[in-house]
Amino acid sequence: MPLNRLSKATVLSHKPAGRGYYRIVLNAPEIASGARPGQFVMLRVSENLDPLLARPFGISDVPAKSAIEILYRVVGKGTTMLTGRKVGEKLVVLGPLGRGFPLPDKGKTLVMVAGGSGFPPLHFLSQRVGCSSHLFLGSRDRECLPPTGILRNFRNSCTRVHIATEDGSMGSQGMTTDILNAFVTKLERKFNIVLCACGPHSMLAAVSRIANLHAIPCYVSMEERMACGLGVCMGCSIPMKGGGYKRACKEGPVFDAQEIDWSETVSLPFPQLRKQVNTSER
Amino acid sequence: MCIMKKKPIKAKANLNVDFAGIKLKNPVLTASGTFGYGEELAEFVDLNLLGGVIVKGISLTPMKGNPPPRIWETPSGMLNAIGLENPGVDVFLTEKLPYLRRFDTAVLVNIFGYSMDEYVQVAERLEGVQGISGIEVNISCPNVKAGGMAFGTDVHATSELLSAIRKATNLPLIAKLSPNVTDVTEFAKAAQDAGCNGLSLINTLLGMAIDVRCRRPRLANCTGGLSGPAIRPVAVRMVWQTAKAVSLPIIGMGGIMTSNDALEFILAGASAIAVGTANFANPRATLDVLDGLESFLLEQGVSKIQDVIGKVNVR
Repeated sequence: MPLNRLSKATVLSHKPAGRGYYRIVLNAPEIASGARPGQFVMLRVSENLDPLLARPFGISDVPAKSAIEILYRVVGKGTTMLTGRKVGEKLVVLGPLGRGFPLPDKGKTLVMVAGGSGFPPLHFLSQRVGCSSHLFLGSRDRECLPPTGILRNFRNSCTRVHIATEDGSMGSQGMTTDILNAFVTKLERKFNIVLCACGPHSMLAAVSRIANLHAIPCYVSMEERMACGLGVCMGCSIPMKGGGYKRACKEGPVFDAQEIDWSETVSLPFPQLRKQVNTSER
Repeated sequence: MCIMKKKPIKAKANLNVDFAGIKLKNPVLTASGTFGYGEELAEFVDLNLLGGVIVKGISLTPMKGNPPPRIWETPSGMLNAIGLENPGVDVFLTEKLPYLRRFDTAVLVNIFGYSMDEYVQVAERLEGVQGISGIEVNISCPNVKAGGMAFGTDVHATSELLSAIRKATNLPLIAKLSPNVTDVTEFAKAAQDAGCNGLSLINTLLGMAIDVRCRRPRLANCTGGLSGPAIRPVAVRMVWQTAKAVSLPIIGMGGIMTSNDALEFILAGASAIAVGTANFANPRATLDVLDGLESFLLEQGVSKIQDVIGKVNVR
């Protein structure tokens, strides 16, 4: 067995990170040594029966040789319980899981796009790339942006951070995809760009369209509900262009945006509503 | 892998079970749809240690499954509406089964069809194939429109379907019954009369969850199958009722997380048990259950598991 991906990790640090986020650092040497940006872990917030399942979290950094960092926002029962786990306690953690982002070569320009709480895997990516990089951040308002400490890290590692908020409370007013499109349109050496994005499916669909328009390679990290993280529950299906599905946990979470059937991904349960959304999008 | 040297246990409990003519080294199996085709979880579980693997349901042709969202977590359980996504029987035989053959464990193939003819054709393809110990017939999937539960909730359809499959195969035939019926024992009797060699119960309970803000179902399929510890008492009750009503051996399943859970089923009358949803929460769940069963027998001074089957004291 090459690596023991199931372990109990001691909480090394666990603190509010600002703007509703928490930063938890776990002692997990094997995960830390093998993790690539874009990969995730399944974390059991408790060993009780409720909640029953582990939660997927993108790895946001490997801050030390033997530690992994996770940034999470409190969104439900599981993450609320997680906030109660104290330094020194042990958590069952499974990882690293899935396929991460490709690391662009030195001469390339990495353009990262993060929407909502999709920035943690891109934070890890920004710490690992050796080429010039831009980050496009979008959110509803200032308060929904990443915590200031994380923004500072991005500013240190990236050539430039571009921000758009829907209410204009920080950066330009509007959608992140608008400023992304304007930026890419102006660039002369488009063949050098690699797009990497993580966020709501609707944003990823829009980023994918922009990439298509300018013939830029684009990789997206797809979030979907999953039970196991190991490819057996078949819960985290992402619709593919050729028909059928691929598993976010196994073949993803990072996919080539070209592969995905975006008309099927907008997360509305009814097929007839999905059609409406797709036609009204244009 | 951190290998802890355990103190050698002198006494060893006998966990062998003869189930419907299939020799199982122990009663711990994996429930269909929760263990793939063995390969995904082999990193965590030495398949040689398991009594057997019940593979994810196989149909005549590949099926792409339902659109997402397919799962939703509920209190101590989960709803799923995967829609039996599978590569089809031919791919199973050429690409999935060869892997499982490498291990010393029983392989039970769960089969499914949209029509009686499809079920029969899948069973025929499995006939005479090396490395298959038996067939589990899924007549109880709540997540597909035709077939599945449509057969398993109508006694006459159950009887007709199982008789037709019986004629098509000499392999041990196990009917996986639906809990979504008023009296499960009627279906157990129909399976017995149709010539089945064993029963699996229970499949998932039909359920639903709603996002109140969007006023929409949580699953794209609207309804899904409820599994996990939330359904265990229902499952134990059904195994107990069925064990009293028929002479067929039973694989008990429904929310087994620990060896004590497994023992409830065994005491209620199950000769073997299957670990399902627990595999998602803990990929080593099967081995934890197995270890616990052995310790229980040693603690209780019982030499073999067979002495516990159906031994619940009701007075």
